[in-house]
Amino acid sequence: MSKIDENEIRRRLEELSQIQPTHEATERAINRARLGFTWGTVTRSYKIKSPIIKFAAAAALLICAGYIIGRVSSAQPVDIEQLRAEIETSLRSSLTASCEQIKDELHQQVQRDLTEFSAQTLAASTTVTDQRLMELIRLIDAARMQDYLRVAAAIEKIEIDKTKLGNGLQALATRTNELLRTEQN
Amino acid sequence: MENRQEKLFELLDKSGASLYALLTKLTLREDVAEELMQELFIKLSNHKELRKIGNWNAYAHRVAINLAFDWRRKQKRICLSLNNVPEIASNEKSPLSNLINSEESQEMLDAIRQLNKAPRQAIVMRYIQQQPYEDIAEQMNKTTHQVRALCHKAINRLRDLLGSGRKEIQNV
Repeated sequence: MSKIDENEIRRRLEELSQIQPTHEATERAINRARLGFTWGTVTRSYKIKSPIIKFAAAAALLICAGYIIGRVSSAQPVDIEQLRAEIETSLRSSLTASCEQIKDELHQQVQRDLTEFSAQTLAASTTVTDQRLMELIRLIDAARMQDYLRVAAAIEKIEIDKTKLGNGLQALATRTNELLRTEQN
Repeated sequence: MENRQEKLFELLDKSGASLYALLTKLTLREDVAEELMQELFIKLSNHKELRKIGNWNAYAHRVAINLAFDWRRKQKRICLSLNNVPEIASNEKSPLSNLINSEESQEMLDAIRQLNKAPRQAIVMRYIQQQPYEDIAEQMNKTTHQVRALCHKAINRLRDLLGSGRKEIQNV
């Protein structure tokens, strides 16, 4: 077995002995060690010895674990912002898609309504015009009838006056004749 | 409890920097050393028989060495590509020499990891921490002769380990 030189070993050991950590690292390590064993002492001083307390602590931990598992496995609370964003996106896309269709339907509906309204208006105006015309006709007929009655009364009066005139002329003629006879006599 | 915490704070203030430096040398990673430093003090604070420890500083260094080599053992199976070879902490040489030194250092530390506990501690304390034999002997509850013998055996074992690794590379 080939052996390494003893001086070589001493040299390497010498090199190892020259290694020194930095001052900052040393300070950090000392502080950490101080904190570590202080905390270890504190935790040990509060070490639970009673089995009942241990059992109670274990039960409490079990309940806590169950609660946490339940919370984790249950349905997650609704993210309002995310839900709102999703609804907005869905609505926007659906509205954009059906906007033209809604416009067409609305236009057709307005057209139908206007047509129906105009037809109804026309029908109503025709009826009123007819009624007015009938009334006018009735009024004209009534006026003409009244004129006829007046003309008939005038003609009857003229006939009566004509008869009276004839009778007067006849009586005059008679008297005239009598008068003439008398004179002749 | 208060006494334990006070002692740990005292240890951290007194030996925190040297413990962190040791961990950095053994892991070659500042971030890992930071992790292990925290782990070390948590271990110390949780130690049940802390009263039995005579020399806190030596005990903390022994635990730090064990933690660092445990980490190295766990990292053994991870193959490092040239892109993710970590740079040696605070080394101001060129990137190429960093890489070469890093590979050499990794090889050396892996070899040290394979040593038994006592020689491993001795070699780390003597050559990496550069402590005198007397201090090491006091910390390990051994005589200086025993420590010297441990270090000598450890160097020989390292020569074997590193030599066999080199031979494998040559055969490949």
